[in-house]
Amino acid sequence: MSDLDPRVVQGRRVLGVVPGQPPGGDRKVPDEQDLVMVSPHLLVRHAVVALTVLLLVLIVAVLFDAPLREVANPFETPNPEKAPWYFAALQELLSHFHPMVAGVLVPGAIVGGLIALPYIDRSRALQPRLRKVAVATFTTFLVVWVVLTLIGFAFRGPNWGWVWPWNEWHGEL
Amino acid sequence: MKLRETTIGRSLFRSPDRETERDQAAGHWSNFLLHLYPVKVRRRELHFSFSWYLGVTSVVLLGSLVVSGVYLMFFYVPSPSSAYGDIQTIQTQVAFGQFIRNVHRWSAHLMVLAVAAHMARVFYRGAYKSPREFNWVIGVMLLVLTLLLSFTGYLLPWDQLAYWAVTVGTSMADFVPIIGGGARDVLLGSDQVGAATLLRFYVLHVALLPLLMVGLLMVHLWRWRKDAMLDQTDGGGEA
Repeated sequence: MSDLDPRVVQGRRVLGVVPGQPPGGDRKVPDEQDLVMVSPHLLVRHAVVALTVLLLVLIVAVLFDAPLREVANPFETPNPEKAPWYFAALQELLSHFHPMVAGVLVPGAIVGGLIALPYIDRSRALQPRLRKVAVATFTTFLVVWVVLTLIGFAFRGPNWGWVWPWNEWHGEL
Repeated sequence: MKLRETTIGRSLFRSPDRETERDQAAGHWSNFLLHLYPVKVRRRELHFSFSWYLGVTSVVLLGSLVVSGVYLMFFYVPSPSSAYGDIQTIQTQVAFGQFIRNVHRWSAHLMVLAVAAHMARVFYRGAYKSPREFNWVIGVMLLVLTLLLSFTGYLLPWDQLAYWAVTVGTSMADFVPIIGGGARDVLLGSDQVGAATLLRFYVLHVALLPLLMVGLLMVHLWRWRKDAMLDQTDGGGEA
């Protein structure tokens, strides 16, 4: 029997063709809980993500230069005096509360609360509607934190007074 | 002929022919870089909406920071008399200096965002739940380390921005109960930001904190790999 024999398909001899559907349906329906090989399925996706992130960094780095002000001068305090943006929420709190609260208790409670979270929330539910308390609490803190960060970063000017960022820009990266 | 079927290829990859899935898994296990990964993951983990790929984004940014950071280290001396001038030299005379400094700066800001967003995504997915509690705790430590690395790096250009941001940031250390002023002295090396602070922040930034970061990250990824096969449905895993 040669390779051109119509009864040979991909090197195998066809013994018969049965009309109709395969018993399991045309095609296996993929289940989300199925296990798939990391190589290549996850690896190609990670490669795409890595290249995208690096491209983004490259574009930003070409377009915008990192800031460099005058040389440090301990005798000339700038106004406003701003912490890096990721501490802007703490600095905003510092303008309303005693430093003991804003500088020690709040950050301590945040880190401690985050560490304790999986030991406090012992429910096994994953859907948001079954874990309303956890989702609502976390979302509240997240929103408050983002708002405080934005205020401290962009809405505060000289003497930590309120400014509109489109009038006066005091955000520093 | 494929590379891994040659004598040299076999000595490099040491994997059998990759015909069946079992062979592929064996090839995966015998690869140094791939050993960071599980062999298989649940299909749902492939979707963008599952993780938004924020974990791998954070790792890629860390890689970008290590590479650009090492380059900058060649041209930088952490002393108040030279630091600022070194940055100016990097920006004007070093090949690709301005570009590499930009990459380092923007990667750092993006990494803070990526790590924080990664934490939020993990929360909403409920991925901190048993038996993954401790990997969440390691993740919180990695977030704190990311902030500390960014903050210590912020001082190094020794310009007005750096100096006063760190002065504000460390002024709260005075109010830590009991140790108070002691904590500030340890952090700054004196009663105000100065030469000792710059050296301390530099050593923290280029040696101690990156070592801690990479060490903890390895544990983080190792636990992720170990847990990759767990059932991820409601109430799944061990009851």
